[in-house]
Amino acid sequence: MMESILVTIPFGDMIHYLSGYTVVLFGFAAIFVILAVISLPEKPVEIVFGTDGYSLKETPVDLLRFQRFMAIACGIATIGAIVTGDIFNFTLFAAFIGVLNIGIVAAVKNKHVLSAAFSYGLVVMMGTVPLFAGAAIIAATTGTLSIWELAAVGGVPIVAKLLLMIGVLGEGMAPFYIGKAEITRASGAPYILMIHVSSLLLFLRVVEILLTV
Amino acid sequence: MIEFFAEMDIIYKIGLAVAFIAIIVAFSAIVRQKDEIHLLIIVDLIEITGLVVIALLATDLAEALILPGLVVGVAEIMAVSELWLVKEGLQNVRPIRRLDIEVLHTAPPIIGAVLTAYGIFLTGFTGGLIAGLGLALFFLGKSTTENFLSSENASGYAWVLWVLAFLIFILFPSQWFLALMAAAVGIMIKVMAKIALVGTMRGDGS
Repeated sequence: MMESILVTIPFGDMIHYLSGYTVVLFGFAAIFVILAVISLPEKPVEIVFGTDGYSLKETPVDLLRFQRFMAIACGIATIGAIVTGDIFNFTLFAAFIGVLNIGIVAAVKNKHVLSAAFSYGLVVMMGTVPLFAGAAIIAATTGTLSIWELAAVGGVPIVAKLLLMIGVLGEGMAPFYIGKAEITRASGAPYILMIHVSSLLLFLRVVEILLTV
Repeated sequence: MIEFFAEMDIIYKIGLAVAFIAIIVAFSAIVRQKDEIHLLIIVDLIEITGLVVIALLATDLAEALILPGLVVGVAEIMAVSELWLVKEGLQNVRPIRRLDIEVLHTAPPIIGAVLTAYGIFLTGFTGGLIAGLGLALFFLGKSTTENFLSSENASGYAWVLWVLAFLIFILFPSQWFLALMAAAVGIMIKVMAKIALVGTMRGDGS
């Protein structure tokens, strides 16, 4: 899996790298960060059911600023998770993405959105347990957390791989939770999109890591 | 490190088994509990059992990994509990009046001054802690509404001093004593400013 390396940034024994696979993810994340920087939030339209009446919802400026900051930070954390060559750094970035995703959703002051975000927050917090446990078991059994060295040496126990996978499922569970319509109905469309993008890229990256080590 | 683990393999496995039993117990509590605030507390408990798994590494690496893990956990519980407060509409609670007893008018300046002086004499993290406790006591006793811009500024500059000290350590190792002193003073002021802020928390919305 490690053959198509394009760039490496040695930093001690954790060697950050971009392969042909991760460079695509990197570009995707970078495009969405730029979109979050330059785009304005859309105005959701609420239609009064059964009549012709409708209303436009404005996004308040402070909400816009907060969501934009969270979305940009989430994009940068996603880029970090893609580039890093260290499993513990990866788990930290994953946990970070989880927190920022809660932030993006929780900015909307709506009872239903907030209760959805609360449940999401609980799952994110539970997700950190298998995530860190997986990284710790890898460190305990192989003595290193560098993906570069693990790719050469191997010997990562399957239970650690499973824990890491479950942890990432917990952190980036937005694709499942987004089934709750209230989150997607919340205002601030380009920023809400960052939740999908970050969790999608996180899944793709963890698959790459688990196939490599 | 690999030999190290081979040596304590059985202990590590027992510890891991105990930690995972604790995790399972905590998760079963989550399933039974319905009240949201209790859910939040139990989830924090679950996170701590996760940190136990890291702590079982029992090396310097474990220490290096626990600190960020702890920070992530604290950040998450703060975010989610703030969210819960907003959701339940509990953000603007009635201000809590401070204790209005005689000893809080007279004692804090004296004890605060003594603790602060002793802390500055100690320097370093411990000194910052002691001096900060003195300041916290002082602010607790005083019904103050002054702004804390200067202490925040001092904290910022102290951080710069601390970073500079590390740069001196790396770039000019011969000047280690200067760097040590700069780092000690920097961390003292930083910790002092942080702990002093505790004394200003009265829940009056200021």
